[in-house]
Amino acid sequence: MTAFAPHRLRQTVLKMAYSGSTVHIGCAFSIIEIMSVLYRSHLRYPGDNPAAALRDYLVLSKGHGVMAQYACLYEKNWLTTADIENYFTDGSKLKGLSDAHVVGCEVTSGSLGHGLSVGVGMALAAKLNNSDQYCYAIVGDGEMNEGTMWEGILFAKQQMLDNLIVIVDENGFQAMGKTREVLGLGSLQDKFSAFGFDAIAVDGHDETALDNALAILKSSKNGNPKAIIARTVKGKGVSFMENENSWHYTRLSKDTFDLAMAELEQAV
Amino acid sequence: MRSVFSNAILAAAQADPKVLLLTGDHGYALFDEFRKCLPAQFINAGIAEQNMVGVAAGLAKAGFKPIVYGLSAFVPVRVLEQIKMDVCYENLAVVFIGDGAGLVYSSLGSSHQSTEDIAVLRCIPNISILSPCDIYEMQYAMDQALRFESPVYVRMGKSDIGQVHQGPVSVPVGDLVPVRTGAQSEIVFLATGSMVKTAVTLAQTIDAAVWSVPGIKPVNTVQLNNIARHTKTLVTLEEHSIMGGLGSLVAEIVSETGDTRVIRMGVQDRFSQKCGSYDYLLEEHGINVAALLPQLSATLASD
Repeated sequence: MTAFAPHRLRQTVLKMAYSGSTVHIGCAFSIIEIMSVLYRSHLRYPGDNPAAALRDYLVLSKGHGVMAQYACLYEKNWLTTADIENYFTDGSKLKGLSDAHVVGCEVTSGSLGHGLSVGVGMALAAKLNNSDQYCYAIVGDGEMNEGTMWEGILFAKQQMLDNLIVIVDENGFQAMGKTREVLGLGSLQDKFSAFGFDAIAVDGHDETALDNALAILKSSKNGNPKAIIARTVKGKGVSFMENENSWHYTRLSKDTFDLAMAELEQAV
Repeated sequence: MRSVFSNAILAAAQADPKVLLLTGDHGYALFDEFRKCLPAQFINAGIAEQNMVGVAAGLAKAGFKPIVYGLSAFVPVRVLEQIKMDVCYENLAVVFIGDGAGLVYSSLGSSHQSTEDIAVLRCIPNISILSPCDIYEMQYAMDQALRFESPVYVRMGKSDIGQVHQGPVSVPVGDLVPVRTGAQSEIVFLATGSMVKTAVTLAQTIDAAVWSVPGIKPVNTVQLNNIARHTKTLVTLEEHSIMGGLGSLVAEIVSETGDTRVIRMGVQDRFSQKCGSYDYLLEEHGINVAALLPQLSATLASD
Protein backbone atom coordinates (compact mmCIF):
# COMPACT_ATOMS: atom_id res chain seq x y z
CA MET A 1 0.00 0.00 0.00
CA THR A 2 1.47 3.32 -1.06
CA ALA A 3 1.71 5.68 1.86
CA PHE A 4 -0.42 8.78 1.48
CA ALA A 5 -1.82 7.57 -1.85
CA PRO A 6 -3.68 10.51 -3.38
CA HIS A 7 -6.84 8.60 -4.29
CA ARG A 8 -7.15 7.31 -0.75
CA LEU A 9 -6.61 10.78 0.71
CA ARG A 10 -9.33 12.10 -1.57
CA GLN A 11 -11.66 9.33 -0.46
CA THR A 12 -11.03 10.26 3.15
CA VAL A 13 -11.84 13.86 2.29
CA LEU A 14 -15.08 12.75 0.65
CA LYS A 15 -16.03 10.66 3.67
CA MET A 16 -15.46 13.59 5.97
CA ALA A 17 -17.26 16.03 3.72
CA TYR A 18 -20.21 13.69 3.31
CA SER A 19 -20.54 12.74 6.97
CA GLY A 20 -20.12 16.35 8.07
CA SER A 21 -22.12 17.80 5.17
CA THR A 22 -19.31 20.31 4.69
CA VAL A 23 -17.91 22.48 1.93
CA HIS A 24 -14.40 23.26 0.61
CA ILE A 25 -13.99 19.90 -1.17
CA GLY A 26 -12.46 21.43 -4.30
CA CYS A 27 -10.05 23.45 -2.15
CA ALA A 28 -8.80 20.28 -0.46
CA PHE A 29 -8.54 18.28 -3.67
CA SER A 30 -6.16 20.72 -5.34
CA ILE A 31 -3.50 20.22 -2.63
CA ILE A 32 -3.74 16.44 -2.23
CA GLU A 33 -0.55 15.58 -4.13
CA ILE A 34 1.34 18.39 -2.40
CA MET A 35 0.30 17.00 0.97
CA SER A 36 1.03 13.49 -0.15
CA VAL A 37 4.59 14.24 -1.22
CA LEU A 38 5.34 16.32 1.86
CA TYR A 39 4.08 13.74 4.33
CA ARG A 40 5.55 10.78 2.46
CA SER A 41 9.03 12.09 1.72
CA HIS A 42 9.87 15.40 3.35
CA LEU A 43 8.28 16.17 6.70
CA ARG A 44 10.44 14.93 9.57
CA TYR A 45 8.82 14.17 12.90
CA PRO A 46 11.47 12.81 15.30
CA GLY A 47 10.02 9.86 17.20
CA ASP A 48 6.95 10.16 14.95
CA ASN A 49 5.87 12.82 17.40
CA PRO A 50 3.80 15.64 15.89
CA ALA A 51 4.96 17.94 18.69
CA ALA A 52 8.64 17.00 18.57
CA ALA A 53 10.75 20.09 19.22
CA LEU A 54 12.91 19.53 16.15
CA ARG A 55 10.12 18.63 13.72
CA ASP A 56 9.73 20.25 10.35
CA TYR A 57 6.80 22.63 10.25
CA LEU A 58 3.91 22.31 7.84
CA VAL A 59 1.86 25.46 7.82
CA LEU A 60 -1.47 25.25 6.05
CA SER A 61 -2.03 28.92 5.46
CA LYS A 62 -4.98 28.27 3.15
CA GLY A 63 -6.84 26.74 6.06
CA HIS A 64 -9.95 25.90 4.06
CA GLY A 65 -8.03 23.02 2.46
CA VAL A 66 -7.72 21.40 5.87
CA MET A 67 -9.54 18.17 5.00
CA ALA A 68 -6.54 17.25 2.84
CA GLN A 69 -4.35 17.59 5.92
CA TYR A 70 -6.80 15.71 8.13
CA ALA A 71 -6.61 12.84 5.63
CA CYS A 72 -2.82 12.77 6.09
CA LEU A 73 -3.04 13.07 9.86
CA TYR A 74 -5.42 10.11 9.77
CA GLU A 75 -2.85 8.08 7.86
CA LYS A 76 -0.26 9.11 10.45
CA ASN A 77 -2.64 7.68 13.08
CA TRP A 78 -2.73 11.08 14.75
CA LEU A 79 -6.45 11.19 14.03
CA THR A 80 -8.84 8.31 14.61
CA THR A 81 -11.54 6.77 12.44
CA ALA A 82 -14.03 8.29 14.86
CA ASP A 83 -12.56 11.74 14.17
CA ILE A 84 -13.15 11.21 10.46
CA GLU A 85 -16.60 9.68 10.78
CA ASN A 86 -17.84 12.21 13.31
CA TYR A 87 -16.65 15.27 11.42
CA PHE A 88 -18.69 18.34 12.36
CA THR A 89 -20.76 16.52 14.96
CA ASP A 90 -21.59 18.46 18.12
CA GLY A 91 -18.64 18.51 20.49
CA SER A 92 -16.14 17.18 17.93
CA LYS A 93 -12.65 18.63 17.66
CA LEU A 94 -11.99 18.99 13.93
CA LYS A 95 -13.21 22.25 12.49
CA GLY A 96 -13.71 23.37 8.93
CA LEU A 97 -10.51 25.40 8.92
CA SER A 98 -6.95 24.68 10.02
CA ASP A 99 -6.69 24.94 13.80
CA ALA A 100 -3.51 24.87 15.85
CA HIS A 101 -5.31 23.14 18.70
CA VAL A 102 -5.37 19.99 16.53
CA VAL A 103 -2.28 17.83 16.94
CA GLY A 104 -0.29 18.06 13.71
CA CYS A 105 -1.71 21.43 12.65
CA GLU A 106 0.75 24.26 13.20
CA VAL A 107 -1.40 27.32 12.63
CA THR A 108 -4.94 28.52 12.93
CA SER A 109 -6.02 29.70 9.55
CA GLY A 110 -9.30 30.64 8.03
CA SER A 111 -8.57 34.29 8.20
CA LEU A 112 -6.24 34.29 5.22
CA GLY A 113 -2.80 35.81 5.22
CA HIS A 114 -1.92 34.70 8.75
CA GLY A 115 -0.27 31.31 8.41
CA LEU A 116 2.63 32.38 6.24
CA SER A 117 3.81 34.97 8.78
CA VAL A 118 3.63 32.47 11.62
CA GLY A 119 5.54 30.00 9.47
CA VAL A 120 8.13 32.64 8.69
CA GLY A 121 8.51 33.12 12.45
CA MET A 122 9.06 29.40 12.94
CA ALA A 123 11.57 29.29 10.09
CA LEU A 124 13.39 32.22 11.70
CA ALA A 125 13.36 30.42 15.04
CA ALA A 126 15.01 27.40 13.41
CA LYS A 127 17.68 29.66 11.92
CA LEU A 128 18.31 31.38 15.24
CA ASN A 129 18.66 27.96 16.84
CA ASN A 130 21.06 26.79 14.09
CA SER A 131 18.64 23.95 13.49
CA ASP A 132 18.17 22.26 10.11
CA GLN A 133 14.37 22.32 10.38
CA TYR A 134 12.33 23.33 7.36
CA CYS A 135 9.09 25.20 7.28
CA TYR A 136 6.74 24.35 4.44
CA ALA A 137 3.89 26.80 3.95
CA ILE A 138 1.01 25.86 1.69
CA VAL A 139 -0.76 29.00 0.57
CA GLY A 140 -3.59 29.63 -1.83
CA ASP A 141 -3.31 31.74 -4.96
CA GLY A 142 -6.41 33.60 -3.84
CA GLU A 143 -4.71 34.09 -0.50
CA MET A 144 -1.97 35.99 -2.31
CA ASN A 145 -4.50 38.86 -2.48
CA GLU A 146 -3.70 39.52 1.18
CA GLY A 147 -1.13 42.23 1.83
CA THR A 148 0.32 40.35 4.77
CA MET A 149 1.55 37.65 2.38
CA TRP A 150 3.83 40.17 0.74
CA GLU A 151 4.97 41.49 4.10
CA GLY A 152 5.96 37.94 5.04
CA ILE A 153 7.71 37.39 1.71
CA LEU A 154 9.77 40.56 2.08
CA PHE A 155 10.68 39.65 5.64
CA ALA A 156 11.65 36.07 4.74
CA LYS A 157 14.07 37.37 2.13
CA GLN A 158 15.48 40.00 4.47
CA GLN A 159 16.15 37.33 7.09
CA MET A 160 17.60 34.94 4.46
CA LEU A 161 15.25 32.12 5.38
CA ASP A 162 16.34 29.46 2.90
CA ASN A 163 14.63 26.93 5.16
CA LEU A 164 11.25 28.37 4.19
CA ILE A 165 9.49 26.70 1.28
CA VAL A 166 6.28 28.38 0.21
CA ILE A 167 4.07 26.19 -1.95
CA VAL A 168 1.39 28.11 -3.80
CA ASP A 169 -1.67 26.10 -4.69
CA GLU A 170 -2.26 27.89 -7.97
CA ASN A 171 -5.65 26.45 -8.88
CA GLY A 172 -6.71 29.66 -10.56
CA PHE A 173 -9.86 30.12 -8.53
CA GLN A 174 -10.92 31.87 -5.41
CA ALA A 175 -14.25 31.87 -3.66
CA MET A 176 -16.23 33.91 -6.14
CA GLY A 177 -14.51 33.33 -9.40
CA LYS A 178 -11.30 33.01 -11.36
CA THR A 179 -8.35 34.56 -9.58
CA ARG A 180 -7.32 36.52 -12.66
CA GLU A 181 -10.81 38.02 -12.90
CA VAL A 182 -11.08 38.92 -9.21
CA LEU A 183 -7.66 40.32 -8.34
CA GLY A 184 -5.19 39.14 -10.92
CA LEU A 185 -1.77 38.03 -9.75
CA GLY A 186 0.09 37.74 -13.03
CA SER A 187 3.04 35.39 -12.93
CA LEU A 188 3.60 34.27 -9.36
CA GLN A 189 6.91 32.70 -10.34
CA ASP A 190 8.08 36.08 -11.63
CA LYS A 191 6.78 37.81 -8.55
CA PHE A 192 8.46 35.45 -6.11
CA SER A 193 11.67 35.67 -8.11
CA ALA A 194 11.49 39.45 -8.06
CA PHE A 195 11.13 39.30 -4.29
CA GLY A 196 14.35 37.29 -4.07
CA PHE A 197 12.98 33.78 -3.78
CA ASP A 198 14.22 30.76 -5.70
CA ALA A 199 10.98 29.91 -7.47
CA ILE A 200 10.04 26.86 -9.51
CA ALA A 201 6.73 26.22 -11.26
CA VAL A 202 5.53 22.62 -11.55
CA ASP A 203 2.43 20.54 -12.21
CA GLY A 204 1.02 20.39 -8.69
CA HIS A 205 -0.52 16.97 -9.27
CA ASP A 206 2.68 15.35 -10.53
CA GLU A 207 4.18 13.78 -7.44
CA THR A 208 7.56 13.15 -9.04
CA ALA A 209 7.79 16.74 -10.27
CA LEU A 210 6.85 18.06 -6.83
CA ASP A 211 9.36 15.77 -5.18
CA ASN A 212 12.11 16.85 -7.58
CA ALA A 213 11.31 20.54 -7.13
CA LEU A 214 11.51 20.17 -3.37
CA ALA A 215 14.82 18.33 -3.65
CA ILE A 216 16.30 20.97 -5.96
CA LEU A 217 15.22 23.84 -3.74
CA LYS A 218 16.41 22.19 -0.55
CA SER A 219 19.82 21.53 -2.07
CA SER A 220 20.36 25.24 -2.48
CA LYS A 221 21.52 26.76 0.81
CA ASN A 222 22.01 30.21 -0.61
CA GLY A 223 20.02 32.36 1.77
CA ASN A 224 17.11 32.70 -0.60
CA PRO A 225 13.70 31.56 0.57
CA LYS A 226 12.04 29.06 -1.75
CA ALA A 227 8.76 28.95 -3.62
CA ILE A 228 7.02 26.30 -5.64
CA ILE A 229 4.22 27.53 -7.83
CA ALA A 230 2.14 24.38 -8.01
CA ARG A 231 -0.22 24.57 -10.97
CA THR A 232 -3.23 22.69 -9.77
CA VAL A 233 -6.83 21.96 -10.64
CA LYS A 234 -9.48 22.90 -8.15
CA GLY A 235 -11.53 19.78 -7.47
CA LYS A 236 -8.81 17.55 -8.97
CA GLY A 237 -9.58 13.83 -9.09
CA VAL A 238 -13.32 13.82 -9.59
CA SER A 239 -14.45 14.70 -13.09
CA PHE A 240 -17.53 16.72 -12.19
CA MET A 241 -15.65 18.74 -9.57
CA GLU A 242 -12.58 19.66 -11.63
CA ASN A 243 -12.40 23.37 -12.41
CA GLU A 244 -15.99 23.63 -11.25
CA ASN A 245 -15.76 26.40 -8.67
CA SER A 246 -19.15 25.60 -7.19
CA TRP A 247 -17.37 22.79 -5.29
CA HIS A 248 -15.86 25.48 -3.12
CA TYR A 249 -19.30 25.62 -1.51
CA THR A 250 -21.34 22.60 -2.69
CA ARG A 251 -22.23 19.83 -0.25
CA LEU A 252 -22.31 16.18 -1.25
CA SER A 253 -25.55 14.29 -1.74
CA LYS A 254 -25.74 10.50 -1.52
CA ASP A 255 -25.56 10.36 -5.31
CA THR A 256 -22.61 12.68 -5.77
CA PHE A 257 -20.76 11.03 -2.89
CA ASP A 258 -21.21 7.55 -4.39
CA LEU A 259 -20.28 8.77 -7.85
CA ALA A 260 -17.13 10.52 -6.65
CA MET A 261 -16.01 7.58 -4.51
CA ALA A 262 -16.49 5.21 -7.45
CA GLU A 263 -14.54 7.46 -9.81
CA LEU A 264 -11.60 7.57 -7.42
CA GLU A 265 -11.70 3.79 -7.04
CA GLN A 266 -11.68 3.27 -10.80
CA ALA A 267 -8.79 5.66 -11.31
CA VAL A 268 -6.43 3.52 -9.23
CA MET B 1 9.46 55.92 32.18
CA ARG B 2 10.60 54.98 28.68
CA SER B 3 14.15 54.48 29.88
CA VAL B 4 12.84 52.20 32.63
CA PHE B 5 11.15 50.27 29.88
CA SER B 6 14.18 50.07 27.61
CA ASN B 7 16.46 49.16 30.51
CA ALA B 8 14.04 46.43 31.60
CA ILE B 9 13.98 44.76 28.21
CA LEU B 10 17.74 45.06 27.84
CA ALA B 11 18.24 43.39 31.21
CA ALA B 12 15.72 40.67 30.37
CA ALA B 13 17.35 40.00 27.01
CA GLN B 14 20.82 39.92 28.51
CA ALA B 15 19.65 37.39 31.08
CA ASP B 16 17.83 35.21 28.55
CA PRO B 17 18.99 34.82 24.93
CA LYS B 18 15.49 33.63 24.01
CA VAL B 19 14.18 37.15 24.58
CA LEU B 20 13.84 38.93 21.23
CA LEU B 21 12.81 42.50 20.60
CA LEU B 22 10.72 43.11 17.50
CA THR B 23 9.78 46.53 16.23
CA GLY B 24 7.98 47.76 13.17
CA ASP B 25 10.61 50.40 12.41
CA HIS B 26 9.66 52.41 15.48
CA GLY B 27 11.74 53.27 18.52
CA TYR B 28 14.53 55.34 17.05
CA ALA B 29 17.00 56.19 19.87
CA LEU B 30 14.92 54.22 22.38
CA PHE B 31 16.66 50.99 21.45
CA ASP B 32 20.16 52.28 20.73
CA GLU B 33 21.67 50.50 23.71
CA PHE B 34 19.79 47.30 22.99
CA ARG B 35 20.91 47.27 19.37
CA LYS B 36 24.50 47.94 20.38
CA CYS B 37 24.61 45.28 23.09
CA LEU B 38 22.39 42.59 21.56
CA PRO B 39 22.13 43.01 17.80
CA ALA B 40 21.23 39.36 17.32
CA GLN B 41 18.20 39.73 19.57
CA PHE B 42 16.90 42.83 17.83
CA ILE B 43 14.64 42.44 14.81
CA ASN B 44 13.41 45.43 12.89
CA ALA B 45 10.55 43.82 10.98
CA GLY B 46 10.02 46.88 8.84
CA ILE B 47 6.84 48.83 8.39
CA ALA B 48 4.87 45.62 8.28
CA GLU B 49 3.26 45.27 11.67
CA GLN B 50 0.84 42.48 10.86
CA ASN B 51 3.59 40.20 9.63
CA MET B 52 5.66 41.16 12.67
CA VAL B 53 3.00 39.84 15.04
CA GLY B 54 2.60 36.63 13.03
CA VAL B 55 6.37 36.19 13.11
CA ALA B 56 6.35 36.79 16.87
CA ALA B 57 3.74 34.06 17.22
CA GLY B 58 5.91 31.66 15.22
CA LEU B 59 8.95 32.54 17.32
CA ALA B 60 6.98 32.01 20.54
CA LYS B 61 5.70 28.64 19.31
CA ALA B 62 9.30 27.60 18.76
CA GLY B 63 10.37 28.60 22.26
CA PHE B 64 11.44 32.22 21.95
CA LYS B 65 10.12 35.05 24.12
CA PRO B 66 9.24 37.92 21.78
CA ILE B 67 8.65 41.47 22.91
CA VAL B 68 6.73 43.31 20.22
CA TYR B 69 7.06 47.07 20.33
CA GLY B 70 4.95 49.58 18.50
CA LEU B 71 2.96 52.73 18.88
CA SER B 72 -0.27 51.77 20.57
CA ALA B 73 -2.20 53.04 17.57
CA PHE B 74 -0.62 50.18 15.61
CA VAL B 75 0.18 47.60 18.28
CA PRO B 76 -2.45 46.47 19.25
CA VAL B 77 -5.02 48.26 17.12
CA ARG B 78 -3.73 47.69 13.60
CA VAL B 79 -2.67 44.12 14.36
CA LEU B 80 -5.69 43.14 16.40
CA GLU B 81 -6.59 40.07 14.36
CA GLN B 82 -3.04 38.75 14.47
CA ILE B 83 -3.06 39.21 18.25
CA LYS B 84 -6.38 37.41 18.49
CA MET B 85 -5.73 34.47 16.16
CA ASP B 86 -1.96 34.03 15.98
CA VAL B 87 -1.10 34.78 19.60
CA CYS B 88 -4.07 34.71 21.97
CA TYR B 89 -5.85 31.69 20.50
CA GLU B 90 -2.77 29.64 21.26
CA ASN B 91 -2.08 31.51 24.50
CA LEU B 92 1.50 32.28 23.49
CA ALA B 93 3.88 34.20 25.73
CA VAL B 94 4.30 37.35 23.66
CA VAL B 95 4.73 40.75 25.31
CA PHE B 96 3.21 43.66 23.43
CA ILE B 97 4.32 47.20 24.20
CA GLY B 98 2.06 50.00 23.00
CA ASP B 99 3.96 53.27 23.25
CA GLY B 100 2.47 56.74 23.11
CA ALA B 101 -0.94 55.57 24.27
CA GLY B 102 -3.73 58.07 24.58
CA LEU B 103 -3.17 61.56 23.22
CA VAL B 104 0.64 61.62 23.45
CA TYR B 105 1.06 62.22 19.71
CA SER B 106 -1.15 65.25 20.00
CA SER B 107 0.22 67.06 16.99
CA LEU B 108 0.21 64.06 14.65
CA GLY B 109 -3.53 63.53 14.70
CA SER B 110 -5.84 60.59 15.19
CA SER B 111 -3.74 58.06 13.27
CA HIS B 112 -1.16 58.20 16.04
CA GLN B 113 -3.49 58.66 18.97
CA SER B 114 -5.05 55.62 20.63
CA THR B 115 -8.02 55.88 22.90
CA GLU B 116 -9.46 52.50 21.97
CA ASP B 117 -6.59 50.07 22.57
CA ILE B 118 -7.79 48.82 25.96
CA ALA B 119 -11.34 48.46 24.69
CA VAL B 120 -10.43 46.31 21.71
CA LEU B 121 -8.11 44.03 23.68
CA ARG B 122 -10.16 43.51 26.82
CA CYS B 123 -12.61 41.12 25.21
CA ILE B 124 -9.94 38.90 23.65
CA PRO B 125 -9.39 35.81 25.82
CA ASN B 126 -5.99 35.01 27.36
CA ILE B 127 -4.37 38.43 27.05
CA SER B 128 -3.55 40.50 30.13
CA ILE B 129 -3.42 44.30 30.10
CA LEU B 130 -1.13 46.46 32.21
CA SER B 131 -1.33 50.25 32.27
CA PRO B 132 1.44 51.79 34.40
CA CYS B 133 1.29 55.37 35.64
CA ASP B 134 4.93 56.18 36.49
CA ILE B 135 8.43 54.71 36.55
CA TYR B 136 7.65 52.52 39.56
CA GLU B 137 4.59 51.00 37.98
CA MET B 138 6.49 50.71 34.68
CA GLN B 139 9.18 48.66 36.38
CA TYR B 140 6.47 46.60 38.07
CA ALA B 141 4.64 46.12 34.75
CA MET B 142 7.76 44.98 32.91
CA ASP B 143 8.77 42.65 35.74
CA GLN B 144 5.33 41.09 35.65
CA ALA B 145 4.98 41.04 31.86
CA LEU B 146 8.26 39.23 31.32
CA ARG B 147 7.16 36.52 33.75
CA PHE B 148 3.84 35.87 32.04
CA GLU B 149 3.47 32.58 30.19
CA SER B 150 0.60 34.06 28.21
CA PRO B 151 0.10 37.19 26.09
CA VAL B 152 0.31 40.55 27.79
CA TYR B 153 -0.10 44.13 26.62
CA VAL B 154 1.72 46.93 28.38
CA ARG B 155 0.15 50.30 27.69
CA MET B 156 2.75 53.04 27.84
CA GLY B 157 1.19 56.49 27.86
CA LYS B 158 2.49 59.98 28.66
CA SER B 159 5.78 59.23 30.31
CA ASP B 160 7.34 62.50 31.45
CA ILE B 161 4.84 63.89 33.93
CA GLY B 162 6.61 62.82 37.10
CA GLN B 163 6.03 60.12 39.67
CA VAL B 164 2.89 59.08 41.46
CA HIS B 165 4.41 56.62 43.91
CA GLN B 166 7.29 57.25 46.30
CA GLY B 167 8.98 53.94 45.64
CA PRO B 168 8.73 50.52 44.02
CA VAL B 169 5.30 49.00 43.59
CA SER B 170 4.93 45.41 44.70
CA VAL B 171 1.41 44.05 44.58
CA PRO B 172 -0.07 40.89 43.07
CA VAL B 173 -1.08 41.20 39.42
CA GLY B 174 -4.51 42.75 39.16
CA ASP B 175 -4.44 44.53 42.48
CA LEU B 176 -5.27 48.19 42.74
CA VAL B 177 -2.54 50.30 44.31
CA PRO B 178 -3.44 52.84 47.00
CA VAL B 179 -2.16 56.31 46.10
CA ARG B 180 -3.99 58.61 48.46
CA THR B 181 -6.32 58.19 51.39
CA GLY B 182 -9.21 60.59 51.88
CA ALA B 183 -11.09 61.96 54.84
CA GLN B 184 -14.42 61.75 53.10
CA SER B 185 -15.92 58.53 51.83
CA GLU B 186 -18.53 59.86 49.40
CA ILE B 187 -16.20 59.69 46.42
CA VAL B 188 -13.27 57.46 45.55
CA PHE B 189 -11.12 57.96 42.47
CA LEU B 190 -9.90 55.04 40.38
CA ALA B 191 -7.44 56.04 37.68
CA THR B 192 -4.97 54.45 35.32
CA GLY B 193 -1.85 55.51 33.45
CA SER B 194 -1.26 59.20 32.95
CA MET B 195 -4.53 60.16 34.64
CA VAL B 196 -3.53 58.97 38.09
CA LYS B 197 -1.72 62.24 38.71
CA THR B 198 -4.76 64.15 37.52
CA ALA B 199 -6.93 62.11 39.88
CA VAL B 200 -4.66 63.01 42.79
CA THR B 201 -4.97 66.73 42.00
CA LEU B 202 -8.75 66.46 41.81
CA ALA B 203 -8.95 64.35 44.96
CA GLN B 204 -6.95 66.87 46.93
CA THR B 205 -9.69 69.47 46.41
CA ILE B 206 -12.23 67.32 48.24
CA ASP B 207 -9.89 65.13 50.29
CA ALA B 208 -10.89 61.90 48.58
CA ALA B 209 -9.02 58.63 48.18
CA VAL B 210 -7.24 57.62 44.97
CA TRP B 211 -6.34 54.17 43.73
CA SER B 212 -4.16 53.46 40.74
CA VAL B 213 -5.23 50.60 38.49
CA PRO B 214 -2.10 49.27 36.76
CA GLY B 215 -3.75 45.92 36.12
CA ILE B 216 -6.70 46.36 33.78
CA LYS B 217 -6.93 42.65 33.07
CA PRO B 218 -6.99 40.62 35.14
CA VAL B 219 -8.25 42.90 37.87
CA ASN B 220 -8.85 41.98 41.49
CA THR B 221 -12.64 42.10 41.52
CA VAL B 222 -12.85 41.29 45.23
CA GLN B 223 -10.71 44.29 46.07
CA LEU B 224 -12.61 46.48 43.61
CA ASN B 225 -15.98 45.47 45.02
CA ASN B 226 -14.70 46.08 48.52
CA ILE B 227 -13.66 49.62 47.59
CA ALA B 228 -17.04 50.14 45.94
CA ARG B 229 -18.94 48.97 49.02
CA HIS B 230 -17.35 51.67 51.14
CA THR B 231 -18.24 54.64 48.98
CA LYS B 232 -21.23 56.11 47.21
CA THR B 233 -19.51 57.16 44.00
CA LEU B 234 -16.56 55.80 42.11
CA VAL B 235 -15.00 58.25 39.67
CA THR B 236 -12.84 56.64 37.00
CA LEU B 237 -10.22 58.57 35.05
CA GLU B 238 -8.38 57.40 31.98
CA GLU B 239 -6.70 58.80 28.88
CA HIS B 240 -8.82 56.42 26.84
CA SER B 241 -12.37 56.29 25.62
CA ILE B 242 -14.96 56.06 28.38
CA MET B 243 -16.30 53.17 26.35
CA GLY B 244 -14.53 49.89 26.92
CA GLY B 245 -11.70 51.05 29.16
CA LEU B 246 -11.27 51.41 32.89
CA GLY B 247 -14.62 53.12 33.37
CA SER B 248 -16.46 50.35 31.60
CA LEU B 249 -14.48 47.73 33.47
CA VAL B 250 -15.37 49.23 36.86
CA ALA B 251 -19.02 49.73 35.90
CA GLU B 252 -19.34 46.16 34.67
CA ILE B 253 -17.95 44.74 37.88
CA VAL B 254 -19.55 46.86 40.56
CA SER B 255 -22.96 46.95 38.89
CA GLU B 256 -23.24 43.22 39.49
CA THR B 257 -22.74 43.43 43.21
CA GLY B 258 -24.01 46.74 44.53
CA ASP B 259 -25.49 50.13 43.85
CA THR B 260 -22.37 52.27 43.85
CA ARG B 261 -22.54 54.97 41.23
CA VAL B 262 -19.76 55.00 38.63
CA ILE B 263 -18.84 58.27 36.94
CA ARG B 264 -16.58 57.71 33.93
CA MET B 265 -14.16 60.50 33.12
CA GLY B 266 -12.11 60.11 29.98
CA VAL B 267 -12.21 60.64 26.25
CA GLN B 268 -15.75 60.93 24.94
CA ASP B 269 -16.97 59.32 21.72
CA ARG B 270 -15.10 61.67 19.45
CA PHE B 271 -11.84 62.10 17.56
CA SER B 272 -9.44 64.94 18.27
CA GLN B 273 -10.42 67.92 16.17
CA LYS B 274 -7.37 70.18 16.30
CA CYS B 275 -3.62 70.06 16.31
CA GLY B 276 -1.71 71.20 19.35
CA SER B 277 0.36 70.31 22.38
CA TYR B 278 -0.43 67.41 24.67
CA ASP B 279 -1.87 69.83 27.21
CA TYR B 280 -3.97 71.43 24.51
CA LEU B 281 -5.40 68.04 23.52
CA LEU B 282 -6.25 67.20 27.13
CA GLU B 283 -8.13 70.49 27.26
CA GLU B 284 -9.87 69.83 23.96
CA HIS B 285 -11.08 66.50 25.28
CA GLY B 286 -12.01 67.98 28.64
CA ILE B 287 -9.72 65.76 30.65
CA ASN B 288 -7.35 68.27 32.22
CA VAL B 289 -7.79 69.42 35.79
CA ALA B 290 -9.42 72.69 34.78
CA ALA B 291 -12.09 70.91 32.76
CA LEU B 292 -12.61 68.07 35.19
CA LEU B 293 -13.12 70.19 38.32
CA PRO B 294 -16.51 71.53 37.18
CA GLN B 295 -17.49 67.97 36.19
CA LEU B 296 -16.56 66.85 39.67
CA SER B 297 -18.57 69.67 41.25
CA ALA B 298 -21.58 68.75 39.15
CA THR B 299 -21.19 65.14 40.22
CA LEU B 300 -21.10 66.17 43.87
CA ALA B 301 -24.10 68.45 43.45
CA SER B 302 -26.16 65.71 41.90
CA ASP B 303 -25.29 63.27 44.62
